[in-house]
Amino acid sequence: MNGMATLRLVARREIEERLRSRLIWVMTALTTLLVVALIVIPAVVRQPAKPTVVGLVGSPAQAVGPAVQAIARAAQVDIKVVDVANDAAARADLQHGSLDVALNIGAHGAVAEVRGSVGYFQVQTLSPTLQAVLQAALNAVHQRQVLAAAGVPPATVRAALAPVPFSTRSLQPPPTDQVARDVAALATGILLYISLALYGAAVANGVAQEKTSRIAEVLLATVRPGQLLAGKVVGIGLCGVGQLAIAVVGGLIANAAVKSAVIPSTVWSLLPAILLWFVLGYALYAFAYAATGAMVGRQEEVQFASLPITLPILAGFLLTYLTIARPDALWLRLLSFLPPLAPILMPARLALGTVSWWEMLLAVLLTVVAVYGMVRLAARIYAPALVRGGARLTWSAALRLGEA
Amino acid sequence: MDVAPAPVLMEERTMAERVLEMERLSKRYGDVVALHDLSFQVRAGELFGFVGSNGAGKTTTMRIIMGVLRADAGEVRWAGAPLTFATRRRIGYMPEERGLYPKMRVLEQLVYLAELHGTTAAVAQRAAAHWLERLDLAARTHDEVQSLSHGNQQRVQLAAALVFAPEILILDEPFAGLDPVAVDVMSAALREQANSGMPVVFSSHQLELVERLCDRVGIIRSGRMVACGTVAELAGGGAERLWLDAPLAPEGWVQRLPGVKVLRREGTRTLLELGPGSDDQMVLRAALETGPVREFRRDVPSLSELFRHVVTDKGAA
Repeated sequence: MNGMATLRLVARREIEERLRSRLIWVMTALTTLLVVALIVIPAVVRQPAKPTVVGLVGSPAQAVGPAVQAIARAAQVDIKVVDVANDAAARADLQHGSLDVALNIGAHGAVAEVRGSVGYFQVQTLSPTLQAVLQAALNAVHQRQVLAAAGVPPATVRAALAPVPFSTRSLQPPPTDQVARDVAALATGILLYISLALYGAAVANGVAQEKTSRIAEVLLATVRPGQLLAGKVVGIGLCGVGQLAIAVVGGLIANAAVKSAVIPSTVWSLLPAILLWFVLGYALYAFAYAATGAMVGRQEEVQFASLPITLPILAGFLLTYLTIARPDALWLRLLSFLPPLAPILMPARLALGTVSWWEMLLAVLLTVVAVYGMVRLAARIYAPALVRGGARLTWSAALRLGEA
Repeated sequence: MDVAPAPVLMEERTMAERVLEMERLSKRYGDVVALHDLSFQVRAGELFGFVGSNGAGKTTTMRIIMGVLRADAGEVRWAGAPLTFATRRRIGYMPEERGLYPKMRVLEQLVYLAELHGTTAAVAQRAAAHWLERLDLAARTHDEVQSLSHGNQQRVQLAAALVFAPEILILDEPFAGLDPVAVDVMSAALREQANSGMPVVFSSHQLELVERLCDRVGIIRSGRMVACGTVAELAGGGAERLWLDAPLAPEGWVQRLPGVKVLRREGTRTLLELGPGSDDQMVLRAALETGPVREFRRDVPSLSELFRHVVTDKGAA
């Protein structure tokens, strides 16, 4: 039987064992839910972009309607003006929610009435922008009346009160989908962190199980250590890719369902990048986890023994937050090239749109070199440690074993 | 018509060559000598019992045969050629305790191991079903291994060693912790395999069982083979002994017989050791002269006695 056939058999058994355990389904459901929640919750919480409804109560207020609309248009504020008969009707509409602001003009000037606090997610006050718009409209009407009364010709009044065109220009305009990119970067970090830690630990536990139950002895009489190791890593890795794919597709479906435009423009390069970086990061970590699993004396020691490998993954995840907050920090950019951190930080930076193609390529190359080194190291430790009984081996003891 | 005998001769020659030879195996763990110049042979069709105290080197020897450990010196040969990875794939191996995936179902486990040894899926299924039936495990086919009793797990282990139709069987403590019924099932299976022309090596502490079951026995002490052969051959090493019951014989009549020594008395029965210059027929004639003879038989020491003798006696090697 050739090597590939053996590898396929070993990988198939790993996949079957994992698909049978409830844990993988629970974790797949949880990660998918997490991604969906990250997309849906901001969309639900954020007020949908609908015009602010301004109710004009009574004829004095209704008279300023055209001015309010003109100013709002000039200031690019999305409002809708409706006429309301009286105060009572306006209050009812505010309570009901069909009205956001009720503008009333009386003897003592204008009053804008709002609903106020009505619950955790809906605090309705008059926004400073809308207040400025209403104030400017009222001022314009007032000034027009005063000037007309003073006998200034209407054409002059119109010219004097016409809004001066005003726009802003930014040297570095923030991307219109900045929030979406931040969310995508965070989701990327969480996904990769969970996947790498979960499936890496699965490799360590699987190897330790084969060692402590002496299955390894039976297997190594018929399977080369390299085939056993590679088959295990590939089988578990395919489960990881499957789980990631389900979570990502779940996220895309959720995004389409809430139509929230949360989807960042970086998404189409991000999706393949997440898979690529999972494969690279998983390869790097899985072989380290495999070596650790082969070094333990008892199954219960796996978690503690693999701490030195779990910590860099956690660090990569935590640095994702900092990278989102400070996308331009030089030290964070440099850290993102380190092979243990790159698998999480590079795709996160890609989601933020702060990484150039050559940076990505360099990071990939560095990680590939690191994977090669890790495979060599793990291969040296794995076989001799696997059939060795007794207490847990340290890394240096395991390496000495590999030299013999 | 002249051609007919040729294949028979061929067959005989290959049978004769099929010997598993352990030649001067040595292994050290640091300062501890685990094996020292250990040599023995197991022929095809032979059931070989490997006995020795804990830590004597039985498991180390088996792990070296399987290639799990590398010997510091020496060689293991099968049919004249040193064992290679390819030959080892034809060895059915049962490590001491466990050696199975606890959460895998019994049948899947056997099929997987058979496939790893190069069996096609269909043949693997058939062979696994056959062995489950043969070892009274058919009812547990779809159970997880961890839900089985110790004895049943042991049977699954044996099935795992046999499922790919190996050429050689190496079993480390296959009888440990088995109930009498399971011992019978296991014994019958091993005998059957040996009879089918396979060399079978197993280690055990159950000396009566080894004595009853094995064609040949090797006793190992501190990494050295101190005795190896059939139980009768091992017993033949010492002086001949006789149990004699001549109830009317007068006190001290034995002393008159040249070269005969009384080892023990149990009532009227006497255990005699025959030295040089004496023979059993002479003793029988002398005994008959004293009156009736109720018992007269050669005393063959049991394996347990032999074992205690060679393992405790410093000069045995």
